[in-house]
Amino acid sequence: MNTMPEKQMLSAAALKEIQDIRKNYPTARAALLPALYVAQREFGWLSPEAYEAVSDHLGVPKAIARGVGTFYAMYKHKPLGRHVVQLCTNVSCMILGAERLVDLLKNKYGLEPGGTTADNRFSLVIMECIGACGTAPAMLVNDDFHENLTDKNIIEILERYT
Amino acid sequence: MITVTINGKEIKLEKAVTVLEAARSAGIKIPTLCYHEQLERYGGCRLCLVEVEKMPRLQTACTLMAADGMIVRTETEAIADVRRGILEFLLINHPLDCPYCDKAGECELQDLVEKYGPTTSRFKEKKRKVTENLQDPVIVRNMERCVMCTRCVRMCEGVQGAAAIGVINRGGHSHIEPFSGNKYDCEYCGNCVSVCPVGAIMSRLHRHSYRPWQVKEKVETVCPYCGVGCTVVAQVRDDVIKRVIPRIGSPVNNGMLCSRGRFGYEFVGHPDRLTAPLIRKNGVLEETTWEEAIGFVAKRLTEIKGKHGGNAVAGIASPRCTNEDNYIFQKFLRVTLGTNNIDSTARMGYAGAQAFIENIFGQGATGNIISGLANSDTVLVVGGDPTTVNPILGLQIRACSRKGGTILTIGHVRGLQHFSPVELDPGAMLETTLLECLVLSLLDRKGLPGSNPALEAKIKAVHADNAEFLKNSCITKEGLADFVDKLGSSGTPAVVIGKDLLQTAGSGYRLFLVCAINYIVNGRVYLLSDHANEQGLLDMGCAPDLLPGYRPLSYAEFRKRYETAWKTPLPEKPGLNIFEMIGAAENGTLKALYVMGENPVFNLPDAATVTASLKKLELLVVQDIFLTETGRLADVVLPALSWAEKDGTFTNMERRIQRVRKAVNREGMADWQIITEVARNMSGKAHYTGAVAVFEEIARVSPLHRDLSYDEIEQGNVIYPYKGEPLRGSAEDIAVQKPAAAAEGTISLAIDRLLFHSGTLSRKSPALIKIYPEAVARIHPETAVSLSLAEGDVIRISSQSGKIELPVVLDRHAGRSSVLVPNIFEGTGALRLAGMGLDPVLKAPAINGTPVTIERIGKVTP
Amino acid sequence: MENVLLKNIENPNSADIKEYMAVGGYVSLAKAFEKSPKEIIDEVKKAGLRGRGGAGFPVAMKWTFASGDPKTPKYLLCNADEGEPGTFKDRPILEKNPHVLIEGMAISGYALGAEYGFIYLRGEYPAAKHILDKAIAQAYEKGFLGENIAGNGVRFHLAVHQGAGAYICGEETALIESLEGDKGQPRIKPPFPVNVGVFSKPTVVNNVETLSNLPYLISIGGEAYAKIGSPDCPGPKIYCVSGHVERPGVYELPMGTNLRDIIYTHCGGIKGGRKLKAVIPGGISTPVLPPDKIDCAMDFVNMPKHGSMLGSGAVIVMDESVCLVKVCYRALKFFEHESCGKCTPCREGTGWLRSILGRIEQGTGAEGDIDLLLSVAANMIGKTFCPLGDGAASVVQNFIKHFRPEFEEHIRAQACVVQGQK
Ligand SMILES: Cc1cc2nc3c(=O)[nH]c(=O)nc-3n(C[C@H](O)[C@H](O)[C@H](O)COP(=O)(O)O)c2cc1C
Ligand code: SF4
Ligand code: FES
Repeated sequence: MNTMPEKQMLSAAALKEIQDIRKNYPTARAALLPALYVAQREFGWLSPEAYEAVSDHLGVPKAIARGVGTFYAMYKHKPLGRHVVQLCTNVSCMILGAERLVDLLKNKYGLEPGGTTADNRFSLVIMECIGACGTAPAMLVNDDFHENLTDKNIIEILERYT
Repeated sequence: MITVTINGKEIKLEKAVTVLEAARSAGIKIPTLCYHEQLERYGGCRLCLVEVEKMPRLQTACTLMAADGMIVRTETEAIADVRRGILEFLLINHPLDCPYCDKAGECELQDLVEKYGPTTSRFKEKKRKVTENLQDPVIVRNMERCVMCTRCVRMCEGVQGAAAIGVINRGGHSHIEPFSGNKYDCEYCGNCVSVCPVGAIMSRLHRHSYRPWQVKEKVETVCPYCGVGCTVVAQVRDDVIKRVIPRIGSPVNNGMLCSRGRFGYEFVGHPDRLTAPLIRKNGVLEETTWEEAIGFVAKRLTEIKGKHGGNAVAGIASPRCTNEDNYIFQKFLRVTLGTNNIDSTARMGYAGAQAFIENIFGQGATGNIISGLANSDTVLVVGGDPTTVNPILGLQIRACSRKGGTILTIGHVRGLQHFSPVELDPGAMLETTLLECLVLSLLDRKGLPGSNPALEAKIKAVHADNAEFLKNSCITKEGLADFVDKLGSSGTPAVVIGKDLLQTAGSGYRLFLVCAINYIVNGRVYLLSDHANEQGLLDMGCAPDLLPGYRPLSYAEFRKRYETAWKTPLPEKPGLNIFEMIGAAENGTLKALYVMGENPVFNLPDAATVTASLKKLELLVVQDIFLTETGRLADVVLPALSWAEKDGTFTNMERRIQRVRKAVNREGMADWQIITEVARNMSGKAHYTGAVAVFEEIARVSPLHRDLSYDEIEQGNVIYPYKGEPLRGSAEDIAVQKPAAAAEGTISLAIDRLLFHSGTLSRKSPALIKIYPEAVARIHPETAVSLSLAEGDVIRISSQSGKIELPVVLDRHAGRSSVLVPNIFEGTGALRLAGMGLDPVLKAPAINGTPVTIERIGKVTP
Repeated sequence: MENVLLKNIENPNSADIKEYMAVGGYVSLAKAFEKSPKEIIDEVKKAGLRGRGGAGFPVAMKWTFASGDPKTPKYLLCNADEGEPGTFKDRPILEKNPHVLIEGMAISGYALGAEYGFIYLRGEYPAAKHILDKAIAQAYEKGFLGENIAGNGVRFHLAVHQGAGAYICGEETALIESLEGDKGQPRIKPPFPVNVGVFSKPTVVNNVETLSNLPYLISIGGEAYAKIGSPDCPGPKIYCVSGHVERPGVYELPMGTNLRDIIYTHCGGIKGGRKLKAVIPGGISTPVLPPDKIDCAMDFVNMPKHGSMLGSGAVIVMDESVCLVKVCYRALKFFEHESCGKCTPCREGTGWLRSILGRIEQGTGAEGDIDLLLSVAANMIGKTFCPLGDGAASVVQNFIKHFRPEFEEHIRAQACVVQGQK
C-alpha cells in the first residue's frame, strides 16, 4: 500500500485552536502570529514543514508566513533543548552582572549563547530587555520568570529543570 | 487644482499626487531606489529626501503627498550630503563588482553613486558575503548586491500575487529569499527581475553575454504566446534577441510579463529551425530549393483542382500567425482554389463558443478590456485556471481580489487559491447540475430581465433538483446560498470562461448555462484564448463560414462585396471545418491539405486517426518554423519566418489590434509571402509590396477594419469595434441540447494546462524546458492510493484512441476522478487519447472526461 | 499620594475580579455610562491626560480624531509591548491589576465608539497572557465586556494578541502591521491610525498605563485629576528604577517628581553609597545625563528642557563601576538587533555604529573613530523612517557628548579603563 510521504501535520487539537483563534480577527492573515505560536508549541520549532502546515491552514502563502515568522525573535528556527533559558543581558541586567552569568552557564553546562547542551536539556537564548530590570539580573526559563539572579541561585533554579 | 513649487518651478496638479510624481511631471528628477511606479509607496531607501518649507525634517518625496502652496527643494548642498551618506550606508556591504556585473550600465545604484559619491569607504569591517545562487534555471541571484529596496518582494506579493519570495529575518540580517531558500519554485514571471534596480536578481538567459549599452535594437512588439497579447520589447544585438522585457505603460500588461513571454524567446534562434524547403522524394523528406518546392506545390494544387475541383483542397490556418498571414491564406483558398475549406484549431472551442455567445449577446460580446477585470466587484471563473492559460489576465483577477472584489470559482482554481476565492467544487461529474442549480437560484433571486425572449424561453426550460444535488455533492446548502448571494448582489460582474468548459462532454449545454447566469446577473464575458492570434484569424475569415471582418458567409450581401473586391465569384456553401477535413481525407473526398503554422497531428484529438487520414492525401503541404509531427507526414515542408522575423498585426482576445514588428533578420519568407508565391505560380496574380500593403487591403475590404492603418495601430488602443460596424441583432433561436449523463466511476482524462508551456514554441525554448522539462501525469493523492500508485511510478494511460506513458506526480489540486496530462511534449500529448466526438452545438471535441485506464508499468529511474 | 494604578497589588489575589470589585473596581465604568461619549472625552481633555507610552501625546486629541471618523467599526488597541530597555512599569499592571486596564479600555471604547479592542502584549510576558485571558473571561462573565455591557446596549469585545519579540512593534503603526499578521514595520503617515488603522479602520493606540488611568480619572473627574502633579501634564505616573540604587522597583508618584528625589529619596540612593556616574532617565533611547544634570522634574514637558526626555519613565542608574563605552556598545547592539530593516540609515547605521563601538570597547579602536561615530550618527539622525533609528544615533551622540574622555581613554589605552566591571 502506497501512502503520501511523511509530513509534519498539525494535530486535530492544534487545528481546532487555530480555528478558534481565527474567529478573533476579521482576516485570516491576522491569525498568523498566534497560529505560529501554536505550531511552535506543537513541533518545538518552526521548520519549513511547520510553515507549510500553518500556511495551508490559513491560506497565507508560505513564503510570506516564513518572512513574517523570521522577523520575530520569539519564533525559533532550529530545534531547541527541553528547557529554554532566556537570559537578559540588556543594560540594567548587564551592569548587575548578567554577563558573568553567561560565563557561568558556559562553564557549568557547556551552554553557549544560541546553543543547546549536548544532552538536549537546555538551550540558551540571549534576550533583550524582558521587563525585569528592577529585579535584575533576570531570566525566563520556558514561561517562568526568575529574577534577582546570583551565581548561586541561578544554578539552584536551573537544577530544578531536568 | 493644487499648486506646488519645486526648485522654484510652479507646478499645477489636477489631482493629489506625491511630491515625487509632481516633480517628475515637470521633468525634475529626484533620485530613488525603493520607489517604482508599479508598486505601492514604501519610503525605505531614503534617497528621495527633500527639503520642504515649514517642515522640520527632511521628507521623502516618494511618500509625501503634494499639498497646495508647498515649497520644495530637491537639490541643495545639504541634500547632496544626505544622499552621499545614504549611499555610503548602501555600499558598506556591497561587493563593488561592477566590472563583472551584468547590470553595469543600467544599474540605478551605480548611476546614483556616480552622481553623489562617496568615492572612498570608511567601513573597515568585513563585508557580508553571499555566494552567487545559480540553482534556478532562468534567474540568477547575487544577493550581496541587494540594497533591500524590497521592490522584488512587493512586486511578487503585491502585484504578481505569487508571493514566492519574502524578506527573511530583520534589520541588518534581512535578506530576500524564496521559501525553500534555494530555488524559486514559483511562477517564473521574472517580474522581480524587471524591478530589481541593481544586479541582485537577473535573468540567466543572457548572463555575461552582452552589455546593456551594446544593444543595437529595441523593438516593441507583441508576445507570441497567448491571447492576452502583451506588449514586449525585444532587445537585439547581432540579430540575436538578447532579452525580452515588458513595457511599462502598455495598456495590456503595463510592465508585467509571464514566464513564457519573458523567457520563451529562444525558439527563434533554435538550431532545429527549418532552413530550407523539404520535398518528399522516394519516401524521404529532402532539402530542396524554394523554386522547386513552390513550383511543385503550385503544380500539384493546380492539377488537383483541375481534376477534383477546388473543394478537394482545404487549408488549416494558424493562431500563431499574423492577421496578414491569415488573410492571405484564406484569400488564397477562396480566390485561387475556389473553396471555403478553411479552418483552424480555433474550432477546438474558441470559435464555437464565441459564435454561441455572440448569438446571444451580440457581436463583440467577448471583446472586453482585460484590465477592467480588476475593477469588477465580482469575477466568476469557470472552465479552468486563467492564471495559467492567460497569466496576465489572471493578474487582473488577483488585483480584483486585492481591491476587495469577490472571486467566485466553479471548480478548484489553483492560481487563485491565495485570493480568498469562494469556491464550489462539486467534481467533474456534477458540474452541469451545479450550473443548473445556480441558474435556478439566481432566477429565484433576480428574475428574468426580459430583454432576450429567445434565451429566456430556454432558461425557463432548465430544471434541476436542488435538494438531490446537495445530497449527492459535497456542497452545502449554506455554501450554495452564499455563492448565489454574492453573484446575485454584484453590480459589475465579470464571467471568465476557460477552455476546460468548452472541451468537456456537454460543453454546449454548459456554455448555455453559463450564458444564462451571465444574462441574469448582467455580466461581461471573457473568453480565454491560448494563442496569440486566435481572435485575429477568425476576424480574417479563416473559418468555413466566415469572411474577413467576421462576416457570415451566408449573407449574400457580404459575399457580393468580397466578390467585387477580389474580382472572383465565391463559393456560397460553407466549407469543411477542421474535423470534417480529417473525415474527408479519410474517406478520400479531400485530396490536398495545406497547413500553415499548425500541427494537427498533435493539436487535434486522436492522433492515430488524424495520422492515418493525412497519409491518404494526395498532397500534404506543411508550412512551419519547425519540423512538427505533421510536417513529418508532409509531401512538402516550407520553412517560414517566425514572429520575431516579420511584420504584421495580432488581434488579442479583447479584440485589440497590435503591431508585430520584425526584430531580427533571417533569410526566408513570412507565411503570407510564401502563400503569395504559390498563388502567383498558380494564377500569375497577387502581389504585395509588404505586410503593410496586405493590411491596407484588409482595411479596404473588411468592413470591420475599415480605414485602419499601421500608423493608427501603432498609437495603441485600436479596440473593437474599431471604426467599423459591428453586427447587431438578437438571436432568434439558441441551440440547447442537454447531454445524457456520463458514465460514473471511471478515471478520466483532463488536460493539464501549463503555465510554462504553450506547445510548439515553448518546447523549443530551452529556458522553459529547463523550468518544466517533461510531461507528467498528475493525480490526486487519494486517487493514487486507490489505484495503488505512488509518486515516481511510471504509468501507461490508455483510451480507445491511444496510449501514453508518463511518470506520476501526486498533486492535491488534481480532481479526484481524473488524471491530468498536458498536451505539450512530443509523444506524450494528452490529445492523442481523446476521441473525435464533438459537441452537437459547439462542434468542439470532448477531451476532458475521456475515459482512460491506468496501469503501473515501472518506476522512474533516478 | 496613595497608589491608583498599582492599588491593592500587595494582595496576592489582586488580579481576581472579586478583589478588584471589593476595592471599588468597575464603579467608574457604570459612572461613565451616565455620561455621553463626548462628555467623557471632555473630561479627559480637562484632565490634561497625556499618553504614557513615551511621546506624551494628548489623549483627548487622539480620541477626538478617531471618534470623528465616520468609518466603522473602530478599534482600540492597548500597547502592552513594553520593550524599551529599562522599562517594567506596565508589567505590574498587567500581572497584578489587569482589571484596572480592562475597565479603562471599556470606558475608552465607549468614549470612542470602538467596538473591538485588542491588548497587544509583548511575547516576553507569558504569565501576563494567562492572567489577562482569565481576567477578560471574568469581565465577560460579569457583563463588563461583550455585546451589551452592563445592560447599556454598548458593545465592546476584547482579546489579547501576543507579539513575538520585536521592540519596533511598540511603535504604533508597526504594532498595527503586526496585529494584521505582518512584519512589524512602521507605516507611512499620513494616513494616521485614527483614520486608517488596523484593518483599515479608525484606530486608537494607547499605552497600558494611559488606559489604566481612566477609571480613576472618571471617578474623581477631570478637574480634580488635573491638579495632580505637573500642571503641564498631570496625573499619577509610574517610574521604574533599575541599576545601582538601594531599592530598585516601581514607584507610583505624581507626574513631575524630581529625578534626584526619585533616586535619592524614594530609591534610597546609590547602592553601597558609591558614586553616581550616569543616569538614563526614560529608557535606553532617551539621552543619558551626567550626575550634575539630574535636578529635573520628570515629565514630558520639562525633561526636554534639561537635555533629555521622560520616555517611559524608566530610570537606569549607573555607579562609577560602569564602563560607559560598554553601555553604549550594549545599547547599540540592542538597536541593531531591533532595527526592523525597512530604512537604509537605521538598517545599515546601527550595525556600523555597534561595530565601531565594539572595537573601541575591545581595545582596538583607532584615532578618528569617535569622529567617525559622530559622522555616522549624523548621517542617521533625521533621515530614518521612524524614531527608532534616530534614537540609536542620539544615544551615541549623547554618550560622547557627556563622556567623551572615557571614549578617548579607551582608544589611547587600547583597553577598558574602567575598574570594577564584571
Ligand atoms: C520605536 C518605538 C517604540 C515604542 N515602544 C512603545 C512601547 O513599548 N509601549 C508603548 O506604550 N508605546 C511605545 N511607543 C510609542 C507608541 O508609538 C505610541 O506613541 C503609544 O503607544 C501611544 O500611546 P500613548 O499615547 O498612550 O502613549 C514606541 C514608539 C517608538 C517610536
Ligand atoms: S528607523 Fe527605519 S529600519 Fe529603523 S526601525 Fe524605524 S523604519 Fe525600521
Ligand atoms: S524612493 Fe523614496 S524612500 Fe526610496
